[in-house]
Amino acid sequence: MSFISSFFGKKKSSASVAKDRLTIMLSHERADCKLPYLDDLRKDLIDVIKKYTSVDDIKITTHNNQSVDILEVEILLGKK
Amino acid sequence: MGTIITVTSGKGGVGKSTTTANLAVGLANLGKKVVAIDFDIGLRNLDMILGLENRIVYDVVDVMEERCNLSQALINDKKAKSLYFLPASQTNDKDILDRTKVEKLLLSLKTDFDIVLIDSPAGIESGFEHSIFLADRALIVSTPDVSSVRDADRVIGIIDAKSEKAKKGEEVEKHVIINRIKPEMVKSGNMLSTEDVLGILALPLIGVVPDDEEIIGSTNMGEPIINREKSIAAESYRRISRRILGEEIEFLDISAKKGFFGAIKGIFK
Repeated sequence: MSFISSFFGKKKSSASVAKDRLTIMLSHERADCKLPYLDDLRKDLIDVIKKYTSVDDIKITTHNNQSVDILEVEILLGKK
Repeated sequence: MGTIITVTSGKGGVGKSTTTANLAVGLANLGKKVVAIDFDIGLRNLDMILGLENRIVYDVVDVMEERCNLSQALINDKKAKSLYFLPASQTNDKDILDRTKVEKLLLSLKTDFDIVLIDSPAGIESGFEHSIFLADRALIVSTPDVSSVRDADRVIGIIDAKSEKAKKGEEVEKHVIINRIKPEMVKSGNMLSTEDVLGILALPLIGVVPDDEEIIGSTNMGEPIINREKSIAAESYRRISRRILGEEIEFLDISAKKGFFGAIKGIFK
């Protein structure tokens, strides 16, 4: 039935819209809370980088790309 | 040694206390010695659903602060003789629970009872943390709507982070109860289905409780619906109780069945 209705451009059912919205939303939220060690990692990274140069801040963002989890680390170097 | 099972959900109003009350009675009816504890400090409700509100003298905080003995605070159910109930305190101080005292109480209950069933408060604050940190198992109640499923997902993520079991490298056994599902709405595409919710939460199902107006009446009376022979929600709770004890029970077929009135309506359509 969904095939026929999509063929005729009928609206998606509200349940399937809900499912899609939830799936997208949760893939973002999960990436954040899945890594409880993020704060500690951030502190440790700052300590390591401080050995070599001055650092203002480190931003760590998480991405979830299909089956791969990506950690993106952005290091803001301090002014010399 | 008994098992600590925490009933939780994240979102409020999805039927945690109703679920706790019915499963407590269900497990006691199956011969288990059960204690149901209301951890919703300041917002006591399980007492009314169980119909035991008039027998409360002491509460869970009185026990923890040693103002009374455990046995003085435990209330024996009217019908299910192996069911005991420990009410929440109605204090305004929601941070009154102390972790070491909670631990002491729960461990002593665990030695006396087969099942310690905890009704967790909504939210993810300290009350929730106290109700989950010693749990052996968790039952996550969710209704098939976006807010409830989203909050359930969040809570599932937090359970392991907060539990003692996870710290020891073990896992809290988690199951989903889908509550208040309306088969007709699922069929017409206006409500998330059991499969949709499970696909999102990625946890095993332990039961689906269809929306049943009789529950309101049973809560009005303070008589958990599980004791009503013919109610479909009651049958769901009876089956969930058996599954909790490890029995393999078929899931209730709620999708196709129109029920008695549905069938009659069908005739006149």
